[in-house]
Amino acid sequence: MVEQKLSAQNAVVAAPAEPESRERDSIDHDASLRGFARRRHRELAVAAVAAVAVALLPLAIHDVYLQNILVLTLMYAALSQSWNILGGYCGQISLGHAIYFGIGAYMSTLLYTHAGLTPWFGMVIGGGVAALIALTLGYPFFRLRGHYFTIATIVVAETGLLLVLNWDFAGGAQGIQIPYGPDSWAHLQFARDKLPYIYFALGFAVLTFIVTFAIEDSKWGYWWRAVKDNAEAAESLGVVVFRSKMAAAALSAFFTAIGGSFYAAFVSYIDPDSVMGFQFSLLIALPAVLGGIGTLWGPALGALVLIPLTELTRSYFGGSGNGLDLIIYGVLIMVISLARPEGLMSLFARRRGARASLEARAKQ
Amino acid sequence: MTLQGLAQILASGLLMGLIYALIAAGLSLIFGLMDVVNFAHGEFLMLAMYATFGIVAATALDPVLAAPLVVGAMFVLGAFVYLAVIRHAMRAKANIGMVQVFATFGLGITIRGLAQHLFTPDYRSIQTSWLSGRTLDVAGVFLPLPQLLGGALSCLSFVALYFVIRRTDFGRALEATREDAGAVALVGIDKNRVFALGWGLGAALVGIAGSVMAIFYYIHPDVGAPFALIAYVTVALGGFGSIFGALAAGLLVGLVEAVSATILEPSMKAIGIYAVYLVVVFMRPRGLFGNL
Amino acid sequence: MNRREIILGGASAVAVLGATGLSAQQPAEVLIGAVYQMSGASAQVGVDAQHAFDTALDIINNAHDIDLPLAKNAGLAGLGGAKVRVIVADHQGDPQKGRAEAERLITREKVAALIGSYQSAVAVTISQTAERYQVPFLSADNSSPSLHRQGLKFYFRAAAHDEMFSKAMFDFFDGLRQKGHKIETLALFHEDTIFGTDSANAQQKLADERGYKIVTNIKYRANSPSLTAEVQQLKTADADVLMPSSYTTDGILLVKTMGELGYRPKAMVAQDAGFSEKALYDAVGDKIEGVISRASFSLDLAAKRPSVGKINEMFKARSGKDLNDLTSREFMGLLILADGIDRAKSTDGEKIREALTATDIPGERTIMPWKRVKFGPDGQNLDADPVLLQWTGGKFVTIFPQSAAIAEAKWPMNA
Repeated sequence: MVEQKLSAQNAVVAAPAEPESRERDSIDHDASLRGFARRRHRELAVAAVAAVAVALLPLAIHDVYLQNILVLTLMYAALSQSWNILGGYCGQISLGHAIYFGIGAYMSTLLYTHAGLTPWFGMVIGGGVAALIALTLGYPFFRLRGHYFTIATIVVAETGLLLVLNWDFAGGAQGIQIPYGPDSWAHLQFARDKLPYIYFALGFAVLTFIVTFAIEDSKWGYWWRAVKDNAEAAESLGVVVFRSKMAAAALSAFFTAIGGSFYAAFVSYIDPDSVMGFQFSLLIALPAVLGGIGTLWGPALGALVLIPLTELTRSYFGGSGNGLDLIIYGVLIMVISLARPEGLMSLFARRRGARASLEARAKQ
Repeated sequence: MTLQGLAQILASGLLMGLIYALIAAGLSLIFGLMDVVNFAHGEFLMLAMYATFGIVAATALDPVLAAPLVVGAMFVLGAFVYLAVIRHAMRAKANIGMVQVFATFGLGITIRGLAQHLFTPDYRSIQTSWLSGRTLDVAGVFLPLPQLLGGALSCLSFVALYFVIRRTDFGRALEATREDAGAVALVGIDKNRVFALGWGLGAALVGIAGSVMAIFYYIHPDVGAPFALIAYVTVALGGFGSIFGALAAGLLVGLVEAVSATILEPSMKAIGIYAVYLVVVFMRPRGLFGNL
Repeated sequence: MNRREIILGGASAVAVLGATGLSAQQPAEVLIGAVYQMSGASAQVGVDAQHAFDTALDIINNAHDIDLPLAKNAGLAGLGGAKVRVIVADHQGDPQKGRAEAERLITREKVAALIGSYQSAVAVTISQTAERYQVPFLSADNSSPSLHRQGLKFYFRAAAHDEMFSKAMFDFFDGLRQKGHKIETLALFHEDTIFGTDSANAQQKLADERGYKIVTNIKYRANSPSLTAEVQQLKTADADVLMPSSYTTDGILLVKTMGELGYRPKAMVAQDAGFSEKALYDAVGDKIEGVISRASFSLDLAAKRPSVGKINEMFKARSGKDLNDLTSREFMGLLILADGIDRAKSTDGEKIREALTATDIPGERTIMPWKRVKFGPDGQNLDADPVLLQWTGGKFVTIFPQSAAIAEAKWPMNA
């Protein structure tokens, strides 16, 4: 069952390891493991520096508009990282993550407006519900391969959108407005202040980064890489990999829903089209794809390039109504995907490769 | 519901289904060829509609007569898009097709922006066709002529496609490329030429749909999106790469849509289509006629 | 404006300018932010709105001999002849983007007030943002009644909302009934976003109260590829009046599909939106001769208010289109907002708010069929009488209420 999941493209693309070279592989493996550990330490250090830098950024940026862009960039980095766990590392491309986002947004908001529960609690509930749904869907969906899986995720998200749109208790098309009140961390409501949202979004991005970082080095991460690279490994790992992928789906859904709860508190108004639309599913996946799918830094890098650019072009070209902002946005996506088909991260990979070969030459 | 009403719903559903099938055929062809889902497909449809509108506005030709010009232009556009954009995205390996998908997504946004830039966001429509507004009354069941023409062209296109795929060198090359792109290069088939022809053909098919739809639909830069989503589901339902699966699935989608708009709340009619897709792929994970 | 007012206005403008540290020689510029959808499915509305604002700015910033607020002299007299400029921002139909753009306009561009936004969902976040920054928001063309019920102090709406519009329709029906026309059954046909659902809810409520039977109530997905099955249901129900609440795209498809299925409704009374758009009548106008739409505006009002004709010419020169229900409200909205700023003699949000609450413009000094512009405590103008227009011979004719009517309604449209 799981074995079938390897898509045809994958089989063509992956260079299958030759069986007779297994011994040599294991020697290489030890060396690469040491390199792997070094790389991971370095990545953690870079991440820590980046997080501190972002945390200090609001000291320099007082402008509300730019702070707003910062919040969105961090949020999309986190969302796309959540998507990356399932889409990138597991290779299960979902274009229906808007449903988890919507579940998060609606759960925390409904619990807040109807039961007075703090969104902190609501977002955990929302995340839990999203994870449960991901598990329920995962069971039948993981049998589907490649694009059949992807279309199934689209279809389910669209169904969710239509159901919420026609669900009067959740406000239907009217959506739900979070009542306007005094600033409060407990309610995650701040009238003008963006700092709390920046720090929440930063924490969210760091959290998803750490989880992904941990997964990379876990046995799950190892299995998934093995399955991606090698059809034989997939066969021998069968059932355990299936379970780990279910777990990945649940994790991915959980964090996406947290993002939804955050978004609802941040915008303080939600309606079905703005939190569950198909476009949203694409926007969640886009930073990871452009940054480098299945890489630790891809989603953050993608979001860093994409979000400020879309916001700025919309603000400064969109008002003309001549479509210029769309053209710039569309061309940017095309240029990145054509120039760096393996993601922006490949820019760094190549430089590292080049440096390594330079060092090697210097030693000789 | 009267029997007549039921017949009307089924007839309308079938006619719409033939149009859906025609739109999906181009998508399916491109997919079958190179595993790329074209997210700019809706924008191709939109461009075809604008092209029809433009020709009609400039020459006062009946849109039906403008259709061959539109189809030709769309063929050139499709081939150009492959050579200028998709070919370069095909260098990617690691992304398992996603980067190509998102390149076409970017292309779609660009085309929408360009359309708004060039044509303004005004809503357009064509009234000058001899066909527009004419409808055939068969025992109380109304069959609008533009849709009948669309259905007929759709059937013809599928027949023509059958011959192209089964009887021509291009068809054989197409089939071979689908089977094994690597081996194809060895036997001297120019992969890029086949792919460019495939994209041209795919765009030409959606061009046929667009030039008929321009008669009975409104035209604006965002008109393609709802059709594109239906086309993706239709292609998957029929089985990726199976052109005749697209025909069967298109008809099924048209019927299911019409019936579920009658028995469900109409605003939720798409759920009927989605449910059918899920049921089918759970039973047949490669769609109705998938051969991948 | 008499001389003393000018002197007073000038003096306070100097004071204001002095306070903001600007040189008194060059009149300051007053900025107003307009948040509209400039790309995507409803971009046409945004682009048209821009022309409406440009026309209003022409009136405000140049001297015109037209009986409208701020027309007589150039610029805002209350601010020493300061010119007004509108900055348009694109919300793309997304509440989050609407909020971000409102924030940008307020904090970066320092706009004195906001105007918007067509889509009601976006108006929610813009109005909330305006409240948080204490900057007035004039909702020019949003018709959702929930907007003025948010309890906001900085929200203003000069035009009618859906309940007022629907009430006019049912008043019209009641009148026809009294004249002996048979109107028993209604068919509602509405799209599934805020506009359609709000409109249908209001109509459902009024129908229940006044004893009309709703035989079918069809809620359809906006921008649906096909409406055949939906129209078939309308045809089967064959109500006395078909009442659509649709945007332009769906409106065109509805009428075309009706034609294709051979359905000729006995009468059609539409909730504006698509049915006030030229594009719809260009596409299918001949098929729905006699359709009635509610509106805030009608061109034939020019017979009673000469300013209407002049403004329409000015607008047409810019856009190539006649003023319609939306663009007239956008035009008037900007004048009312600028008038408030003028009287506030300040660009301070709170002062403008106070001036707006004191607004009292008689209907004759607007281009609308309204009695007057006077905002209630919730920011809603209760004197914004809607009208009903009938599409006859390629143009709209006002048929209701009696005070504004130019002609008798042809009823039913398809006898």
